[in-house]
Amino acid sequence: MPSSSCTTDPEANGVPAQTPPATRRFWHIGFRRRIQLWGVAFVLPALLFFAVFKYGPMLWAIGLSLTSYDMVSQPSFVGLENYQSLASDPIFQVTLLNTLVYIGVSTVLITLIGLALALAINTGVPYARHCMTAMFLTNLMPVIAVCLVWKFLLHPFGPITQLLAPFGAARIDWVTNSATAMPSIIAVTVWRFAPYFMVVFLAGLLAIPDDYYEAAQLDGANAVRRFWHVTLPLLTPVIFFVVVVSALLCARIFLLPYFITGGGPGSATRVLSMLIYDTGFSYLKMGRAAAISVVLFAIMMVFTVLQMRLFMRNERMLA
Amino acid sequence: MHYRSRIGRWIGLALLAALTVAFVFPILWMVTSSFQAGDKMFALDAEWIPSQWHPENFPNALSRAAFPLYFFNSAVISVIVTASNLVFCTLAGYGLAKFRFPGDRFVLLAILSTLMLPIEVTLVPTFLVVHKFGWINSYQGIAGPLLIDAFGIFLMRQSIISVPTDYIEAARIDGAGELRILWQIIVPQCWPALAVLTIFAFRESWDQFIWPLTVVSVDQLRTYPLGLVIFNDDYGTPPTEQMAIAVLATIPVFGLFMLLQRWINRGFGLSGLK
Repeated sequence: MPSSSCTTDPEANGVPAQTPPATRRFWHIGFRRRIQLWGVAFVLPALLFFAVFKYGPMLWAIGLSLTSYDMVSQPSFVGLENYQSLASDPIFQVTLLNTLVYIGVSTVLITLIGLALALAINTGVPYARHCMTAMFLTNLMPVIAVCLVWKFLLHPFGPITQLLAPFGAARIDWVTNSATAMPSIIAVTVWRFAPYFMVVFLAGLLAIPDDYYEAAQLDGANAVRRFWHVTLPLLTPVIFFVVVVSALLCARIFLLPYFITGGGPGSATRVLSMLIYDTGFSYLKMGRAAAISVVLFAIMMVFTVLQMRLFMRNERMLA
Repeated sequence: MHYRSRIGRWIGLALLAALTVAFVFPILWMVTSSFQAGDKMFALDAEWIPSQWHPENFPNALSRAAFPLYFFNSAVISVIVTASNLVFCTLAGYGLAKFRFPGDRFVLLAILSTLMLPIEVTLVPTFLVVHKFGWINSYQGIAGPLLIDAFGIFLMRQSIISVPTDYIEAARIDGAGELRILWQIIVPQCWPALAVLTIFAFRESWDQFIWPLTVVSVDQLRTYPLGLVIFNDDYGTPPTEQMAIAVLATIPVFGLFMLLQRWINRGFGLSGLK
């Protein structure tokens, strides 16, 4: 997380570069080498784990996507056939579009609402900290509990309809109407994730020194100008981080649409992860499911590469 | 001026409180409706607070399916996954923060890159790997792919980087071993990050759905989210009892959060908050 700033030189082993006496040199090099080996040993378990459960499976998925495989007979090589048939499959096209729309809209709303909440908490209003903790609870609730509560809240005879009734709103079938199903899923997503990013933004806001605001105030800048010329520029790295991480979170979404709408009505809320599961484990088309995985992987790669570039730039600034 | 700002503060509080209620309302409604009478939940004249409380919804729900067993399975897996993340993320975070070895930059990026390989993406091949290990329908099969998470490694690395290297050097000169340095110098300075890692690793494993759905096909290894989905699919299961299970599932995460809250606030970098 970028919020935990590094205050010291990240260069370890800051052993002075003076030449030690010849008799000690051999021992000295051995000492440094031994420390290096400890460093490698600490990282090794994680790397081995990722080789077995991340890199290996991804390479396997790429290979598998070029085959036809049903887990019973041997995989047979079919070249790019899986990708070609996906490209002309209307269900896949709709699902891909849904996923991109879902990621895009959710990410924008999560970022804006998260930032707005953080600014509201940071005004120094009494009990702001308690409000923050209470809102953060939405992020800790088990996803399945979130799904259950919102499925009932959005029920045509549920509480939301009853809350809106005095305002003359007609009964809306939130999750079974193709116009409102996706917005409903997005609303639940924003409800769940915005308070987490509120905390991330808040950490970013607290890291801005008060002096900057005082100086701006002395220069006669009002609150809007202070936000525009002090807060926003200094918060830009945090905003980028929030956008990338929330996009990565949204790309993984499965249970929310699976439970609340079942991907419906029709395919209105079906997303790629659901299509991977159905293709692979309901229809046992492992090759085709692997090809969909590669597409989802490509989407996530765009955001991860963005994040890595940002991360490396921040590292260089600190070094 | 002073008067105006004080009024302003209370108006601000009123607005913020309204926002908070809007966010917390679904959680409160989950709790109240878990005590509601079965036929009142979708009644047209909604009762936000039950006129008659029905705590028997909880034992009824628990006895309807094998929920005690499902909760036990989830707990075992979550404890294993959380403990493993605490150990291995701290080790790897320390290795990346305070050691220089050939290719360390590359290793850092390689670990960061696993963020684009969540289980949803690698679902099919991960299933085949676990199948090859003979771990289908087993605890190690459910927990295995979750044991180490790149996010945790980064959290620990960023926290350990700010521990002064001088402390480590001094301990080394005094002849302390590397593991002892980790345990006695690094860990005591990283409680906030470890608390954040604990709550996130626990929530992540407690929440797992798509992976257990894929790898478990026998009833006695189901985790509670799988049980709840089946429970929900069963026609005629009272929604109030489903809500009771949801409440029971929420308690461990909220409890852990309250227990660790002091450190979590610092771990998030919120110690400056008034």
